[in-house]
Amino acid sequence: MTNPIQTIKDLTQSALGEISAAASLADLEKVRVAVLGRKGELAGISKTFGAMEPEDRAKAGQLLNEAKATLEKAFEDRKQALASSESGQRFKSEWIDLTVPPQGIAPGHIHPVTQVQDEIEQLFTSMGFRVLDGPEVETEYYNFDALNIPPDHPARDMQDTFWMTDGHLLRTHTSPVQVRALQKYGAPIRMIAPGRVFRNEEVDASHEHTFYQVEGMMVDRDVSVGHLIYFMQTLLSSVFGRKVTVRLRPGYFPFVEPGFELDIQCLICGGNGCAVCKQSGWVELLPCGLVHPNVISNSGLDPQEWNGFAFGLGLTRLAMMRYAIDDIRLMQSGDLRFLNQF
Amino acid sequence: MKFSYNWLRELVPGLKMDVTTLAQQITMKTAECEGVHDPGAFAGASVAAVARAENSEPDSIIEIDNKSLTNRPDLWGHLGMAREVAAIAGLSVADPVGELPAAASQGDLSITIDDANLCARFSGQRVENVKVAPSPLWMQYRLNSLGVNPINNLVDVTNYILCELGQPMHAYDADLLGNAIVVRAARKGESILALNGEKYSLTEEDIVIADAQRPVGIAGIIGGNDTAIRDITRRIVLEAASFPAANVRKSSSRLKLRTDASQRFEKGQDPENTVRALARAVELLKQISPGSEAAPPIDVYTRKSTPPKIQLDVDWAERKLGRKLSTEEVINIFQSLVFGVEQADARKLVIAVPSWRATKDISIPEDLVEEIGRMVGYASIVPQAPAVLASPTARNLEHEQHRAIRAAMVGQGFTEVSNYSFISDADAAMFGYLPEKLLQVANPIVAEQKYMRPSLLPGILRNLADNSRYFADFRLFEIGRAYEKGADGTPAERTHLTAAIYGRETNGANLLEMKRVAQYVAPDCKVVPAKGHVKTMHPERAAHVEISGQQVGDLYELYPGLLDRGRAAILYLDLDALQALLSQRQAYRPLRRFPTSSFDLSIVAGTHELVANLENKLRQFAGDGLISLQFLLIFPLPPDKKSVSFRLTFGADDRTLTADEVTRTRERIVEGIKAAGYELRE
Repeated sequence: MTNPIQTIKDLTQSALGEISAAASLADLEKVRVAVLGRKGELAGISKTFGAMEPEDRAKAGQLLNEAKATLEKAFEDRKQALASSESGQRFKSEWIDLTVPPQGIAPGHIHPVTQVQDEIEQLFTSMGFRVLDGPEVETEYYNFDALNIPPDHPARDMQDTFWMTDGHLLRTHTSPVQVRALQKYGAPIRMIAPGRVFRNEEVDASHEHTFYQVEGMMVDRDVSVGHLIYFMQTLLSSVFGRKVTVRLRPGYFPFVEPGFELDIQCLICGGNGCAVCKQSGWVELLPCGLVHPNVISNSGLDPQEWNGFAFGLGLTRLAMMRYAIDDIRLMQSGDLRFLNQF
Repeated sequence: MKFSYNWLRELVPGLKMDVTTLAQQITMKTAECEGVHDPGAFAGASVAAVARAENSEPDSIIEIDNKSLTNRPDLWGHLGMAREVAAIAGLSVADPVGELPAAASQGDLSITIDDANLCARFSGQRVENVKVAPSPLWMQYRLNSLGVNPINNLVDVTNYILCELGQPMHAYDADLLGNAIVVRAARKGESILALNGEKYSLTEEDIVIADAQRPVGIAGIIGGNDTAIRDITRRIVLEAASFPAANVRKSSSRLKLRTDASQRFEKGQDPENTVRALARAVELLKQISPGSEAAPPIDVYTRKSTPPKIQLDVDWAERKLGRKLSTEEVINIFQSLVFGVEQADARKLVIAVPSWRATKDISIPEDLVEEIGRMVGYASIVPQAPAVLASPTARNLEHEQHRAIRAAMVGQGFTEVSNYSFISDADAAMFGYLPEKLLQVANPIVAEQKYMRPSLLPGILRNLADNSRYFADFRLFEIGRAYEKGADGTPAERTHLTAAIYGRETNGANLLEMKRVAQYVAPDCKVVPAKGHVKTMHPERAAHVEISGQQVGDLYELYPGLLDRGRAAILYLDLDALQALLSQRQAYRPLRRFPTSSFDLSIVAGTHELVANLENKLRQFAGDGLISLQFLLIFPLPPDKKSVSFRLTFGADDRTLTADEVTRTRERIVEGIKAAGYELRE
């Protein structure tokens, strides 16, 4: 009869060799079943222990357990190694080239004026200004009379205004919304009114008969020029993404008193003078002022009680400044070679 | 408007400011300066030559933007600007006009104003023994450098005073002019040969200066040729008058004749200035036409208005500007601008407006705030956030909807365009729009601006044609207003979305892609086939877009003849209608507790059978247990049939359906379909 102890040692040696020789998970499993399985070789050896002396039996039992542990660990290690090499093979076969341009629809583009308008709407909404709309086909009353523009004012001339055959007109500015807003919502109010406006002009690289403006107005008790400057500085710093220095100088617009032209310090040269600012260091940006008391009373409010500021900003002009667009006609061209850039 | 720096210095003795600084100060406090130039820039080399001959100091010309002077009639002459400069520099003005002679109301020369509405004041003066000669060089230099051509001493004096006092004047040859001058409305059919050699036909809207025989001048615009100064002129009549701004503007724009005079009268001239101008002219004539003798002026002042006095509360002005003001500071400002100031109490003033600021410019306390603001300098005001009630900002749901739709469209590959609001006659005809429903432009510049667009499609079609030259496939959309006459005839505006998918090669197959886009933008919408009912639609590829049974738009292929090449799928949505129908928030449905069962059916039907029709039939036969009906595919069976496959899913809320139940349901549906005349494909 062979010595079980020797048999365990021999078996362990040969099994370790088979485990490391197994080339696939399937081969390895065969080895595991043959050696470690319930009817495997190690189990067979333990059956021979019955004939042994109790002392020897205990010794052999301990050795068997050690052999089992050794083989199980070798088996697990080999299994890990084989598994990772097999999935590595599979992953390799699944390689793809991620520099290939994707199929499907590429996203479109939002018009640059809309982008600027959205930004300004969000900015003013965050400062408590509501966003309002007004009709593009307006009455002479809202476009001129209510805004304190006298009947003989040059702005009423035929050459500036598109008139409809029924006596309506295309609004020449977004300012009519000032009066409409005050009539509808009363005071206090903070509002902006972006939209399309029209001037009856010949079109060239710097003149358009169709463009976009945003009107802004705050009416409350004791609104001052200081408040106006505050909002303009905040607005323009946000629009241009850096601190903007503004200055006011006298300007005449019938619907404000006092009225201002607002200049910003040239963003190109920082105020030192360059071609963009015509060496002056300043760029004229927007008209503004304190709402004329006649506009307040035309809106049905008491100018003794309520006053405010108003401004008009050219959205088309702002978009042109931002993207250095030198031909205004591109804006209404519908040309995708242009629009796809935004 | 051009200002001579030397002239301003003459009128403001002691002015030390250099011309560049002065121009900047004027920009910040008065009116926009467009630049400082050498006088030769306007009048050529002759100016420099004259300056050398005269040995006078070379001048600089300050150019002011006319638009910034529209509300300041007083700044259309050097004296007005000199007043501003004096106030800016803290100096006083030297008035070039001496003492005014006593005026008679009538004399040898009679002046009649027919209607006070036509002329507020007419001052005339005869001057004898004048001799026509060139002006002295200093005067020629000055006129030339301001862009005025010197003519002769008599005419030059009137132009000089125009530049100095801002008062337009005219000189008539007294021997060619009758003794009775009348200011009246022109008569129908009357005409005048003007100084510029042009003949003008007048209407009753124009105002003329006439003698007994004929008009001798168009009031406030130009003099007549018949009574003009000649080389042999010995006696003249000088005119300095005040005409109503609106009339002068209307006549000047109808006659297409803008002159230095009309430009000034349009702004509203100070009637107090007429006799001052005459006095100044007489004095200048003494110098440059020695021996001239002036008769007393004749002055007819039909409408004298008293310049207003305005109450000013300094505290109120402080609140308007957002800056502290001392009463003394305010008093100084008004005094420096030659306003009258009375102090009512510590913080209340009464401000008397000078006549030259009263015609148009200053009438209410707010106007005075501007005077204070510009003189203290707006840079001295500290920006300040207002104290306001914190409350949620009211939302603009339309803009939120438009923004969401734009984002969705862009995500689906569409680029936003912006087209004009106008269409032409040819567009209206091509698109089948009825002219009587369109808003018509009364004064278009070009034929493309005849009507307001009732749809965005004409613009979109132009975009398709233009871009098809550069791109084989593209998608674009516009959100904008469309305009029509409403039911009551007044203008009605609605916001439309029009989108297009263009393909140079595709055969209209992308119409279903456009349907997907429509349902992506408006998930609740249904596409209901309809015959293409207008000229722009493919007759067999058109549908309504509906929400809750209400039409909100159209989905169609563009009528193939409208594009030279390629085809386009069009989606139009009325966003105002859509906004009103936006779905309300709904409560959620609990998740199913029991498993469901599905089976597929393929129905054989005629090629033109609508899938929606088959779906309706299936729903009808399936009954209540149907949970979902999913379209799978269409398989063509030439020549005239097709097979349409669906997956039907059944389930119950309280149990699992048995195999038997599912089989019975399937058989019921199959029977129904067969009874309806269709076959089933295994």
